[in-house]
Amino acid sequence: MSRVLVVEDEQHLAEGLRFNLEAEGYQVAVVDTGEAALDLLNGPAFDIVVLDVMLPGKSGFEVVSEMRRTGQFVPTLILTARGHSDDVLQGFAAGADDYLTKPFDLTILIARIQGLLRRREWLRGAHSETPPSIPPQRNDVFTFGDKSVYFELLELRVRDQVFPLTLMEMNVLRYLIRHEGKPVSRKSMLEEVWGLHEDTDTRAIDNFIVRLRRYIEEDPTKPRHLLAVRGVGYRFIGNPPSG
Amino acid sequence: MVGTGRKKSIAFFISLGVGLTIVIILLYVGWVLLGWHTGILLFLGIVLLALIIAGVVLNTIFLVREIRRNEQHDAFINAVTHELKTPVASIRLYVETLKTRAVEEAKRDEFYGIILSDSDRLLGTIEQILRTGRVGSSSRKPHLAPMQLDELVGECVARARILHGVPPESLQYKPGPPLPIQGDYDEVHAAVSNLIDNAIKYSGNEVGIEVVACQSDGRFAEVRVKDRGAGIPGPELKRIFKRFYRVHGPGAMRVKGTGLGLYIVRSVAKRHGGRAWAESGGPGQGSTFTLQFPIAK
Repeated sequence: MSRVLVVEDEQHLAEGLRFNLEAEGYQVAVVDTGEAALDLLNGPAFDIVVLDVMLPGKSGFEVVSEMRRTGQFVPTLILTARGHSDDVLQGFAAGADDYLTKPFDLTILIARIQGLLRRREWLRGAHSETPPSIPPQRNDVFTFGDKSVYFELLELRVRDQVFPLTLMEMNVLRYLIRHEGKPVSRKSMLEEVWGLHEDTDTRAIDNFIVRLRRYIEEDPTKPRHLLAVRGVGYRFIGNPPSG
Repeated sequence: MVGTGRKKSIAFFISLGVGLTIVIILLYVGWVLLGWHTGILLFLGIVLLALIIAGVVLNTIFLVREIRRNEQHDAFINAVTHELKTPVASIRLYVETLKTRAVEEAKRDEFYGIILSDSDRLLGTIEQILRTGRVGSSSRKPHLAPMQLDELVGECVARARILHGVPPESLQYKPGPPLPIQGDYDEVHAAVSNLIDNAIKYSGNEVGIEVVACQSDGRFAEVRVKDRGAGIPGPELKRIFKRFYRVHGPGAMRVKGTGLGLYIVRSVAKRHGGRAWAESGGPGQGSTFTLQFPIAK
């Protein structure tokens, strides 16, 4: 069940939103200040934030930009009476994902919330579906040697040890496993995993590889699973020849 | 309502600018023509220079004031947008909910109540804006008629108790002797109600308000509304009566409004030959608002 955080100081609107979102099957939390929202976002994760702008204390714009600054990337929809194009631009510049003006059409609000949640789901699990040539990995555990990767849990288990991975680390690993045995270029990883197409510095990937080697290699200085391919990128080998 | 005053002041400052330019030209022409009369020239020069400096200073003051007024106007537009759109958004949300979902009986009644109170709020904002236009124009005179200020205050207090759900012990009113005045009932009612509504709005959760109606100097009928709420910093005591003006700061930020209420209060007082002012010990010390009308003989 998706968790929605509604930040709205107008009590009537807040309760109306709660009623409708709960009727749609979401779990809803309502707060009436930006400060309270930022506090709550430090706790258990929310899947989406519906944020008013004219709040007592911190404005919605300040709240969303503070969220982004502190690495809080939960999808955020700004819901406000301010519909001037300057306001809309300010909202997106602050880091909002969507912007809807009051008065709003209830069905449209719900459709937009569903759209943002859908995108979040895709981003979470669906890099697996990107290269259609390779059969999609439906089961969410991959085992090689004495190591198991639990994709959904963001965990790597080596014998009885558990290493938590970040979402990005997991996505990199997933991509490499998907192309097991074949060299994968840094550029294609940037495009497929990060969704970047411009000439970004590809060395960021090397840092991820260094971190992943620490988890899955017996001796990270002599990698056997995550091999560098000169001039191209990397190659994942699940069961290297012994010796 | 905003237009005419602004046009006049803009016309004045444009003519001031033109006048100053002419003065400068005259100064130069004078320099050429009266070159030999050094004494006269010196005198004229000093006078005209003083005029020019005074003009530049005036122009700067005008500019700063105009910029400030613009800022307040923007804030006002934002506030009014919010005050008009929020209740409409809420009404719309609840009507759509009732229309599209199966809502149980008790919830349904609650929703109807919310719709009703939001339409009242919307109406209140609209009336406030329209009233600002009426009391701000000097061509529309108030309809003066004999009335009892003490009774009107009693009605306003009763209305506020119901509207805001405040118990009588939190909003006290002790009627004094009869206070006959010549007044426009609607305007005076709006002014007194604005003061009481403000006192409630800025009191937060602990409402403790005393309303007093009494004579002052034997010449004035006076309404005093005393609260124990947010209080007002000294420098703001006069400014809060300006149109669109709202106090900035952490305390006031929590209260929403258009910045019209006290402007209406002061305008109504002036139109009746009376006055309105505020006193406060400072932030957190509560405040007292006084509204005076000449007593009818």
